[in-house]
Amino acid sequence: MSDIIRRDPRKAWIARNRLHPEHASVLAELGMGDAQPAQWMGPNGVMRKDPHRVGFIGPAGIKRIDRSGVQGAPGQVQARSTAAQDTRTAVLIAEPAFHIVVVPDMAGGRLSAHDRDLLGLARQMADKNASAQGAVVAIVFGELKEDSWGEAGIDRLLHLSDAALEGYSPEYRIAILSAAERELKPRYWLFPDSSLGGGDLGRRLSVRIGERAATQVWQVDLESETPRCTGRGAAGRKDITRDLPRVLLALAECGEPVSDTRHEAQAIQLQQPLPEQLVRIEDLGAVAVDPASVALSEAEFILSGGNGVRDWDGFHQAARVLGATEGASRVAVDDGFMARDRQVGATGTWVTARVYMAVGISGAIQHLQGIQSCDKVIAINMDPGCDMIKRADLAVIGDSGEILSELVKRVDGLKQENRDVA
Amino acid sequence: MLNIILPVLIFAALALAVVGAVRRISLWRQGRPSPVSLLAGLAAMPRRYLVDLHHVVGRDSYISNTHVATAGGFVAAAVLAILVHGLQLESRILAWALLAATTSMFVGALFVAKRRVNPPSRLSKGPWMRLPKSLMAFSLAFFLITLPAAGILPHGFGGWVLALLLVALVVWGLGEMFFGMTWGGPMKHAFAGALHLAWHRRAERFGGGRSTGLKPLNLDDPNATLGVEKPADFTWNQLLGFDACVQCGRCEAVCPAFAAGQPLNPKKLIQDMVVGLAGGSDAHYAGSPYPGKPVGEHQGDAHSPIVAREGKALVDAETLWSCTTCRACVEECPMMIEHVDAIVDMRRFLTLERGETPNKGAEVIDNLIATDNPGGFAPTARMNWAADLNLPVLAEVKRTDVLLWLGDGAFDMRNQRTLRAFVKVLRAAGINFAVLGNEERDSGDVARRLGDEATFQSLARRNIATLAKYSFRSIVTCDPHSFHVLKNEYGELGGEYVVHHHTTFIGKLHEDKKLNLRGWKGGKVTYHDPCYLGRYNGEYEAPRAVLRALGIEVAEMERSGFRSRCCGGGGGAPITDIPGKQRIPDMRMEDIRETGAELVAVGCPQCTAMLEGVVEPRPEIRDIAELVADALIEQADAVDATAKKPQVEEALA
Amino acid sequence: MLLSTPRSSADKTAIKVAVLLSVGSHPLTGRGRRAEQDARALEMALALPQADAQLIHAGRLNDESEPALRSYLGMGPQQMTLIQQPKQADVLPALEKHLRQLGPKLILCGSRAEAGEGSGLLPYLLAEKLGWPLISGLAAIESVDGSSATVLQALPRGQRRRLRVKLPALLTIDSAAPVARQSAFGPARRGQLAEVDAPVQMDTEQEGWEVQPARKRPKRLKIIKATSARDRFKAAAAKSEGSGGQVLKDITAAEGADAVLKLLMEEGVLRVSS
Repeated sequence: MSDIIRRDPRKAWIARNRLHPEHASVLAELGMGDAQPAQWMGPNGVMRKDPHRVGFIGPAGIKRIDRSGVQGAPGQVQARSTAAQDTRTAVLIAEPAFHIVVVPDMAGGRLSAHDRDLLGLARQMADKNASAQGAVVAIVFGELKEDSWGEAGIDRLLHLSDAALEGYSPEYRIAILSAAERELKPRYWLFPDSSLGGGDLGRRLSVRIGERAATQVWQVDLESETPRCTGRGAAGRKDITRDLPRVLLALAECGEPVSDTRHEAQAIQLQQPLPEQLVRIEDLGAVAVDPASVALSEAEFILSGGNGVRDWDGFHQAARVLGATEGASRVAVDDGFMARDRQVGATGTWVTARVYMAVGISGAIQHLQGIQSCDKVIAINMDPGCDMIKRADLAVIGDSGEILSELVKRVDGLKQENRDVA
Repeated sequence: MLNIILPVLIFAALALAVVGAVRRISLWRQGRPSPVSLLAGLAAMPRRYLVDLHHVVGRDSYISNTHVATAGGFVAAAVLAILVHGLQLESRILAWALLAATTSMFVGALFVAKRRVNPPSRLSKGPWMRLPKSLMAFSLAFFLITLPAAGILPHGFGGWVLALLLVALVVWGLGEMFFGMTWGGPMKHAFAGALHLAWHRRAERFGGGRSTGLKPLNLDDPNATLGVEKPADFTWNQLLGFDACVQCGRCEAVCPAFAAGQPLNPKKLIQDMVVGLAGGSDAHYAGSPYPGKPVGEHQGDAHSPIVAREGKALVDAETLWSCTTCRACVEECPMMIEHVDAIVDMRRFLTLERGETPNKGAEVIDNLIATDNPGGFAPTARMNWAADLNLPVLAEVKRTDVLLWLGDGAFDMRNQRTLRAFVKVLRAAGINFAVLGNEERDSGDVARRLGDEATFQSLARRNIATLAKYSFRSIVTCDPHSFHVLKNEYGELGGEYVVHHHTTFIGKLHEDKKLNLRGWKGGKVTYHDPCYLGRYNGEYEAPRAVLRALGIEVAEMERSGFRSRCCGGGGGAPITDIPGKQRIPDMRMEDIRETGAELVAVGCPQCTAMLEGVVEPRPEIRDIAELVADALIEQADAVDATAKKPQVEEALA
Repeated sequence: MLLSTPRSSADKTAIKVAVLLSVGSHPLTGRGRRAEQDARALEMALALPQADAQLIHAGRLNDESEPALRSYLGMGPQQMTLIQQPKQADVLPALEKHLRQLGPKLILCGSRAEAGEGSGLLPYLLAEKLGWPLISGLAAIESVDGSSATVLQALPRGQRRRLRVKLPALLTIDSAAPVARQSAFGPARRGQLAEVDAPVQMDTEQEGWEVQPARKRPKRLKIIKATSARDRFKAAAAKSEGSGGQVLKDITAAEGADAVLKLLMEEGVLRVSS
């Protein structure tokens, strides 16, 4: 760029014209806005506002001032966005009094919501005593995509990646965690009590270091004399409250994720080399599972067809392209379009999918009972009055065949794009 | 010459028949013991035959008359032939009587032959096609041979050619009628049938009685095989009953599972049991097969499992699980054979010993064990539907006139509407009633029909213990299945109650003028008889009376009353869910549509659920309680109306 | 005829599989029953063609536990070993002793008990004591030979991972494994419960615990980090999600597909990257 300052006569004119709708933004752009802010603290400690500099021209051409400052105050846009950037305070814990180790699941290479809750809990425990703050150490394995470690509340990050750590390698991981136990002597170990990952590793570690872990923990009471925790027992039917052990396997929402502070996430290394591992469990890799054949009760995304489906080939193709598990209403099963094990409903399978897409299903009571624990229901149906539409979070009235084929086109397009990018 | 040959032939045939009978009886005796009074049974047999059996046969007057002529003629002819030709009694009168008897038999045989010209598909073919000819051979032979004895023709008429011809006819006739009767020919039905009537397991069925409750299974002996694994595990009189089958196929014609193309044909099932009893394969069976299952692939014997764990034996499990226990076959059977008992006995083995209740069966049974209801709902949620109704609960009030038994419909959103409607009716009539609330359990109906007698008895005993804590006059329920079980099946476990179906109860309320109903304004209405109310308990009239009281003229379906077709919801059939070519409720809805009705009145939560499962557009389905509740002129309105009138008059004055 | 003939333990080709079984508890009524996951573990052992399944329960035999234990026998096996342990006992030493004597190649069990602490630690403790490898969350055993087993581990979304483990090993089964066969009343009643005495070590640590019926967990409140009163008010007064969905009428199929696609992307159920 050249260093010659060029003047835009139009902008200069707008900057002079206080009534021009773009006046404020141009002023800000030219760096003149700061000369006189829209509001400032007066000498008596009262906030003063320049009415010319706030507000916006309403639809009727009249100037409006929205006192909340949200809408259309062009002069303030910039100021607000800078403010949003810096609400988190950076925290440095150079000399931690103790360590709390969190071993997040890192599902898909990122911190999951469960991991963040756990880090929030760890943060709470580390910051309990302001005079002797602890450091939260996260130990993570393998190839990762996460980059907001500090924002999640991590002071120290021990990241190990090694070909042997890919896939299912609990024994190797435990060797690493045991080494960390020796070197860091953490006050607490925190694991997400998920079915694989933390739940497995945490139990292994607790057994290895001879500490009776508290499992299914959902509440930690740091205020009482000795810290106590409450976890579920007896398959969720009991609450067990006990003194906080060193190893904690906690459920989701055990703590509030960190949002106000930013931490250092300083990378650390293990000092001692790891002992040679005897591989007793060998990972032979993922098994290709056809989403259509996944058991309905396990499926996360179900495309379910009913009496209104005319084009079953199109339906099956849509399921394939969307990667959805196929389901069916009773009528579709009775009519022989779908197998009996695909029937959803009170008389078929009760499903727990995150997204349940009902195509041409009017929504008999029995069917609706079977999908009551689905998160999001999408209905595609010709009849706007049917019960499925009432249940659905998103309902599209129209020909299901056409809509599905349009959807397939779009998803195919997206896949193509992704392939091209890759 | 004939004078020598005939007695020899007759007594030889009789002797062979006796040998055959002994052999047949020994086959039946492979079965388990069953306490039946042999002599009293034999004494009651003629009446049971002439009255009860012919009451059923008489529903088809053609075959009824034919049977009277043929069978009556044959019995008389046989006795007389033994006297005239066997014992050579010289009596013109006897000879003339024999001529009359054979004539009657011959005429009957002609009608039998006519039925066989273009036989309906329900009739078995094979040896049964030969029977009219054999009947004719027998009657003709004895007619001709008797002519000389009656003095119409001279002795020795026609020479040896005719004599030889006659002897051949006599051999044929005697072979079929005497020898075949006990050695397994079509005439076996007469021999086995007569004894079956005499020693029937449900003697209460005769003389206008009714016996429909399943027999309890003795669970006391831990080493006994539970249910029927092999044909020999049936009681001996059940085996005898199977042998009595005439293969008329009336059961087949009314069986909803057969019509729906599910692999069940009650006639074939009974014939398979006969095959099992005697040993062999079903290749000789000459009737309609189980839909989708060719004949000739199954075989067995009295001491081999009926249902194989793998592969094929006598019967496939899905045949047994296709039955809806609607009892249409039992109702139609002229031989009073108990198909449903046999099916449930075999199911008991599959469930209690093998743990092979198909599809959702295992889950339902587990739910019943763990939560006392088939849906696996929290038992504490049984009363949730009535949270706003303030129903009096027996645990609090301790005594009441009428105990309202909710049934598992209390968990079903559709049936809750029916229950609310019925509560409204009870309140309008000012009935003092209460419910068991969360103390109620499933009646055990489904468990029992699925063969899980252990769970049934456990539920029943606990229900009986609960009921024993309180005092009430009668039980009313909207569920015919609970109704049947409480009324007919709890008795054997020590629970005797006065039980009413809600339609009966409403009928009584109406008779007692406790209900104020406005007239029907809707369209055409038909009524669907629930099996467990109708055929199981004979209540056909009360629901119709209630509908009449509402001003509804019922447009009857062709199959209604005791011939009502099942909705497909009984016997755990929706749970075991054996695929067929079409669905039973769809067929029933077709019956309903044929009447042109816009609304079908029902009295059973199962029927409601099954019929409402039919794809719309279809006639509306309403429980009778709902119709009555809608037609109620509320007492409050009436009181208001009467209260207001005097005021107006006062004002006028 | 009645029961499948048990493979005799003398059969050299048979692989001894110990199945650890506990008394379950129905989630709604709390009634004793076969524990869901343990039953699946037993199912897996029974379905394994060359396995000689040994049923083991450590606990008390009483009127409450007997029907539940017998319901495992209702699945076909004729015998269950019952290691007598009082309530509040730490069953680990007793189990370890018995298993060392038995010498199975595989130990199968559910991933956590339905009653008591239900921490799911026991299999891990046992594996640690025995020094065996442990695999959790098993969906199927594909094959077993003398020295190793090939198994499928259940991952979320019905996905599976194939693992090979050296024997002897301990495998825990969760709900992705095939459903247990029906328990039949007759065999359940006839099966033998062979009681075995074992050392008892009480679990004293539990004495310091408070055990209560599970409380409902508080629903997480959405914390609104709003800077102005208006934002906070708007957030508090906003309609909660899911109250009545969006209905798109009179639109083209393309628009409808767009709307559906948007929701699918938001929910992250669409995998277009592979």
